[in-house]
Amino acid sequence: MKALDLIVSPSPHIHSGAKMTGISYHILIALLPAVIVGISTYGLDALRVICSSIACAMVFEALIQKLFKKPITISDGSAAVTGLILALILPASVPFYIVAVANFAGIVIGKQCFGGLGANPLNPALVGWAVIRITKAWAGYLDFDLALVNYDTGFLMQYPLAVLKAQGASALSHFDMIDLFLGKQTGGIGAAAIVWILIGGLYLVVRGVIRWEIPLFFLLGTAALSGIFWLTDQAAYAGPMFHILTGNVMIGAFFLSTDSGSSPVNRWGLVVYGLGCGAMTIFLRAWSDYSDGVVFACLLMNLFVPLMDKIKDKQKVPEVRSLG
Amino acid sequence: MMSIRSFFGILPARLPYADSNSPPESVPLPDTLTLLYSETAPSCVALRVGDEVKTGQNLAPLGAHPLVSPATGLVVEISDFKGPDGRSYTSVSIKPNSRETFDPSLAAIDDFSKADPMELRAAIKRAGFSALSAVSPDPKAWPKVDALIISALDQDPHGLANQQAFRDHADQVGEAIGLLSRAAEASQCVLAVPENLAGIAGKIPPGSHKLVLVPPVYPNGYKEVLARKYGEGILLQGKDGGVVGNTLVISVEEAVGMLSCLRSGRPITEKTVTFTNGTGTPKNYKIRIGTPIRALLKTTGIIPQPKGKVIVNGIMGGYACFSDEQPLGSDAMSVSVQSPSDVTLFQDTACTNCGKCNTVCPVDLEVNLLGRFSEYNLFDKCRTLGAENCIECGLCAYVCPARRPLVHLIVHAKQVIEAQGPEDENAEQGIPCETCENSCKPLRLFEPAPKEERAENGESR
Repeated sequence: MKALDLIVSPSPHIHSGAKMTGISYHILIALLPAVIVGISTYGLDALRVICSSIACAMVFEALIQKLFKKPITISDGSAAVTGLILALILPASVPFYIVAVANFAGIVIGKQCFGGLGANPLNPALVGWAVIRITKAWAGYLDFDLALVNYDTGFLMQYPLAVLKAQGASALSHFDMIDLFLGKQTGGIGAAAIVWILIGGLYLVVRGVIRWEIPLFFLLGTAALSGIFWLTDQAAYAGPMFHILTGNVMIGAFFLSTDSGSSPVNRWGLVVYGLGCGAMTIFLRAWSDYSDGVVFACLLMNLFVPLMDKIKDKQKVPEVRSLG
Repeated sequence: MMSIRSFFGILPARLPYADSNSPPESVPLPDTLTLLYSETAPSCVALRVGDEVKTGQNLAPLGAHPLVSPATGLVVEISDFKGPDGRSYTSVSIKPNSRETFDPSLAAIDDFSKADPMELRAAIKRAGFSALSAVSPDPKAWPKVDALIISALDQDPHGLANQQAFRDHADQVGEAIGLLSRAAEASQCVLAVPENLAGIAGKIPPGSHKLVLVPPVYPNGYKEVLARKYGEGILLQGKDGGVVGNTLVISVEEAVGMLSCLRSGRPITEKTVTFTNGTGTPKNYKIRIGTPIRALLKTTGIIPQPKGKVIVNGIMGGYACFSDEQPLGSDAMSVSVQSPSDVTLFQDTACTNCGKCNTVCPVDLEVNLLGRFSEYNLFDKCRTLGAENCIECGLCAYVCPARRPLVHLIVHAKQVIEAQGPEDENAEQGIPCETCENSCKPLRLFEPAPKEERAENGESR
């Protein structure tokens, strides 16, 4: 009798079809409105930064994987996502070499040196941004008031958080909350387009790409702590609405803090992580030298993720014993 | 094909069960029936090649679990067999006769309500049902059953066999519940019915049982999942002889089968299995127990292609067969054939910590960690995370965007943990020091000495 040449493998024998590529493409789609708004506001400069950033991220990823003799995985889109997210929190005027250095730091040091996708303890895009921000010679490129001085966008060209830092909350009366919400404010190429970031972020939540707990509790944490500050001294501290609608809070809640490799998995871990990111943002905005604290808040909370993954429900202790 | 989608990312993704009425078609009696017996000592099978057996004859009178001949015929082969699960079996092949003679030692029981529970358990085992002997082979050494769950759900997303038994024999379910409640001495009984069969369930006269409607979503049909939802842990005999859990779960098909066997004084000889070939609608077939897959495939007209798969007991939790000569036993639920283009490949990629596996796990395991610990041979950590509790439903690997072979990794960890033995024997022993001479176990000052067997297990991967 002729034996059949059958394939044998452990279960399951079907797959849902979910792919890493799918996740990356959903994030790119979600960022598309902010990209379009950014390009329409800052013109070809924004396009230059976005394209060069994505290209740098993918080229560095491919090169380092070749150097490390690993399979080249730029087709999964994760490097493109890193490049795009990094571009969206940079000002439109930033020169090419800064973009390249930031992507090198993010992709090579922040991601591939730790083992690649999923093994990165920190969000690579934030590592790239932080390297530029803490390098004294380059920090000026990230000062939005200096960087965007030559642009005429039709709205008030003052970085709201810099105004808050320098002059206190009493100087904020000429910022209209509706304008801030609609993205008519100075800031990163895409990060300032608050409403479009929100729409993209909600799309990711609906598609199940990111967990809803992180953005919700990030925004709640920001609102709660800024509310407490504001209640103690309304002249020195801005209200919760202002904090949520300025700087990187919205992009931070939906895109910067939700990178799966550097965020927790269990529900209570996610809650603590989200609240921590939001609260740390306000602490940094209130007490540090930085006008916006989102990136450093996220990086700091990224470091605590292994601890947060230890927070479990009591019922998580399994009761069912199957001894088959 | 099925889809799995999440609703707002808040509810876990859902994989629905098949729902259709498919009266079983009979598969002709094959040339050879093969029975696999899992008892480790082959001497339990008191037979020799050339022996005549009658239908219902007890082939393993010394064994703890039942082995009952499903046909009258001649024993043509007895051999050792390594099953697809890696366990050893004794295989008994019977060439059936066309004329059937029933073993006279089985007797019909007329009135269950007055029968002794001990007698009922023995009769159920004698008729060839292993569902109860899995708890304890000795009917007298039975633990207390707090909850008895009769399930009308199939385990496999494509499965229809158990649903069909409920559709066809709903009128007998009430009596079967009475029989099993008495046999198991259960204090309460739950009838678990998928929501799509609520209409049929409504026609069952209310009795001592409680009716629950279960959403027809995978993996709600798993006995472990039902026991966790509606009972308090599944009742099974532990490896150390003790008993865990206090809920007994029995499928409607088995329950109704037990009822008719005890009534008629005949053994269980047939089983309904669901057949699917990838994209086609699932269909039920009635087979004689011990029928090789080949005979079933001949009736369906589907020939598996080279580099394809033949899967027994479900595309999610079942096992792929080496050959189509594999027999279908009384525990067979479904057979699926996959063409080479449908064969799913998993990859040795890194976990990205997205957490999808954790949200779908029906027993709340931390699958992301288990997969990684198993990958790096950290089996003690797998034990701490409760790897043994995995029911191998396959949902984690099904949803994993990195296509990691999560079930493979967890099953490997489970096997290593099983080979290492119970936790107490394996407890970390400190290195004795000169000062106190005793080991410093309570303080755990020293790392435990590496065990040779662990190293071996690590290398075997």
